[in-house]
Amino acid sequence: MVLNELGKKITSALRRMTNSTVIDEQALDDMLKEVSRALLEADVNVRIVAQLRTNVKKRVNLEELAAGVNKRKLIQKAVFEELCEMLDPGNKPVALKKGKPNVVMFVGLQGNGKTTSCAKYAYYHQRKGWKTCLVCADTFRAGAFDQLKQNATKAKIPFYGSYTETDPVKIALEGVERFKADNYELIIVDTSGRHKQESALFEEMQQMADTIQPADIVFVMDSSIGQAAYDQALAFKQAVKVGSVIITKLDGHAKGGGALSAVSATESPIVFIGTGEHMDDLEAFNSVSFVQRLLGMGDVSGLVTS
Amino acid sequence: MLSFWKRLTGQSSLSKEDLEPVLQQFKTTLIGKNVAQNIAEKIVQSVGASVEGKRLESMKSVKSAVREALHDALTRLLTPKQSTEVLADIEKVNAIERRPFVIVVCGVNGVGKSTSLAKTCFYLQKHGKKVLIAACDTFRAGAVEQLKTHAACLNVELYHQGYGKDAATVAKEAVRRGTEIGVDVVLVDTAGRMQHNEPLMRALAKLVSVNQPDRIFFVGEALVGNDAVDQLSSFNKALMDFQKVPNPRLIDGIILTKFDTIDDKVGAAVSMVYTTGQPIVFVGVGQTYYDLRKVSTSVLVNALLR
Ligand SMILES: Nc1nc2c(ncn2[C@@H]2O[C@H](COP(=O)(O)OP(=O)(O)OP(=O)(O)O)[C@@H](O)[C@H]2O)c(=O)[nH]1
Ligand SMILES: Nc1nc2c(ncn2[C@@H]2O[C@H](COP(=O)(O)OP(=O)(O)OP(=O)(O)O)[C@@H](O)[C@H]2O)c(=O)[nH]1
Ligand SMILES: [Mg+2]
Ligand SMILES: [Mg+2]
Repeated sequence: MVLNELGKKITSALRRMTNSTVIDEQALDDMLKEVSRALLEADVNVRIVAQLRTNVKKRVNLEELAAGVNKRKLIQKAVFEELCEMLDPGNKPVALKKGKPNVVMFVGLQGNGKTTSCAKYAYYHQRKGWKTCLVCADTFRAGAFDQLKQNATKAKIPFYGSYTETDPVKIALEGVERFKADNYELIIVDTSGRHKQESALFEEMQQMADTIQPADIVFVMDSSIGQAAYDQALAFKQAVKVGSVIITKLDGHAKGGGALSAVSATESPIVFIGTGEHMDDLEAFNSVSFVQRLLGMGDVSGLVTS
Repeated sequence: MLSFWKRLTGQSSLSKEDLEPVLQQFKTTLIGKNVAQNIAEKIVQSVGASVEGKRLESMKSVKSAVREALHDALTRLLTPKQSTEVLADIEKVNAIERRPFVIVVCGVNGVGKSTSLAKTCFYLQKHGKKVLIAACDTFRAGAVEQLKTHAACLNVELYHQGYGKDAATVAKEAVRRGTEIGVDVVLVDTAGRMQHNEPLMRALAKLVSVNQPDRIFFVGEALVGNDAVDQLSSFNKALMDFQKVPNPRLIDGIILTKFDTIDDKVGAAVSMVYTTGQPIVFVGVGQTYYDLRKVSTSVLVNALLR
């Protein structure tokens, strides 16, 4: 995965510092500069990078270190913990309950992969034995219903939508109620793309969430997004109760740092990543093991607990 | 630090030491505005080289001298070298060669190719051109129906052969159909593809070499971060390597979409123009047919330095 490239750069910056003979202010600065550059190249938000740099420096405060303390270890630990902090949403993924109707609503910016991810998510759960279905509540985008319908048909998943109804909230409610009556366990609702600058679109999303009362709201984000990621993600989080994140298009070459920055904005874990256009190109994601892999450190746990 | 910003003339000429912190600061500003990290670096480096050794004019701080030089450099970069107007060229081809003018849009997934193509159709119609749309995304679910909807709204003919067909062949047939019914322009939509997906990039090169379009527009979104550079250089490289003709056709211009979603983080424009040397032909500022604009260089430069 491309995200690993970021990990390699950070580890090599840490290693280089380990190799330099004296660890003074200069060595620490050089290392932090290198780490920052790797993060910025990966599109991590500039403010978050600056913060990380200050925090590490503060924690390591070289002057005050007593002689004999292992500076290298301490610095590595500080960098690692700050990165974990950045990637730690502070919340667990929403648990869905089998045997009950779980409504899951997908939201996100235009073209980020909501409709495709909805279908993949449905397919993934269907194969795990869930009774799943799809509702198309995007009445705006040309061809949106056909797109969902064709995907659903391919994966043999029941779907609901309309070519004529123009009120997305109405369709969402109708679809959800119909499938609830039929005892579906996972009712996945696809919505139109939207962005924070259009308040009417955000109000529509809030209204839909209020009406269908989803168990989880999944925020879908494209891995190639740059510095605008954080603000957009934050706006979605502030508007509705985002509980999970899916990062898409990781089969490309983007390093995904913009989307990673979004984790701290949404305070929600990344639950899946999209790795292609096909139905089974969806991988479950575990943030903790990701950070460990990101840093390519077998000895990570040692660093954190020591 | 302040002494750097506030340093007045009469002192020495601008030295590397004076410049370094100021350049770093501007680099961070550009990255914060979503300019790709290595491009921001190259731009400030060359600006630094251009002012180093110069004497400060009276009452000018280092910062404002650098800002001025950067303003000039960005303006030079973003000012199109040739006209971005296509109408005259369309008329020339129609009159002299007695055939439709062919425009292909390409780019990665979900950036707004099909929507921009529909907007371009509307723009051309407003200027009295007769248009045919060719549905050459024969892969993505709903792609054909999406264009059917647009074609119906815009009252133009859509040429399509459904899904699964070879895009190059569909395009060829579409141009033949366009010639037959006497349109001025054929707009060719293509499937989104990741820039390192070799089979798909080869297919795009084939479509281009078979059809020899008059314009190839790369559609990129203003949201994209550092990946912008790789997207454009890889699309161009694939067009160069895979066409297998003496004079391969390359990207002629950029359509920058979702400009309404990024506030003042307009840096993707810099990354894209810097990478290709090609101009931004249109920006997309929303989801309706009216939301296609020309962008002025000064608007971009002012947003970058704000
Ligand atoms: N390569 C790749 N393409 C993807 C992935 N996920 C989605 N896509 C593609 O991205 C494009 C946009 O996906 P959609 O699912 O239509 O996005 P959306 O968010 O529903 O778009 P709107 O409804 O218009 O806001 C399509 O071409 C998808 O095939 C992925 O993980 N990898
Ligand atoms: N806000 C905004 N949305 C846009 C703009 N241009 C396109 N979109 C939206 O972006 C989404 C994707 O647009 P498409 O035209 O389907 O993108 P595409 O590149 O053809 O996608 P694929 O064919 O799946 O690769 C749609 O929801 C569009 O309405 C724009 O300038 N501003
Ligand atoms: Mg959609
Ligand atoms: Mg398209």
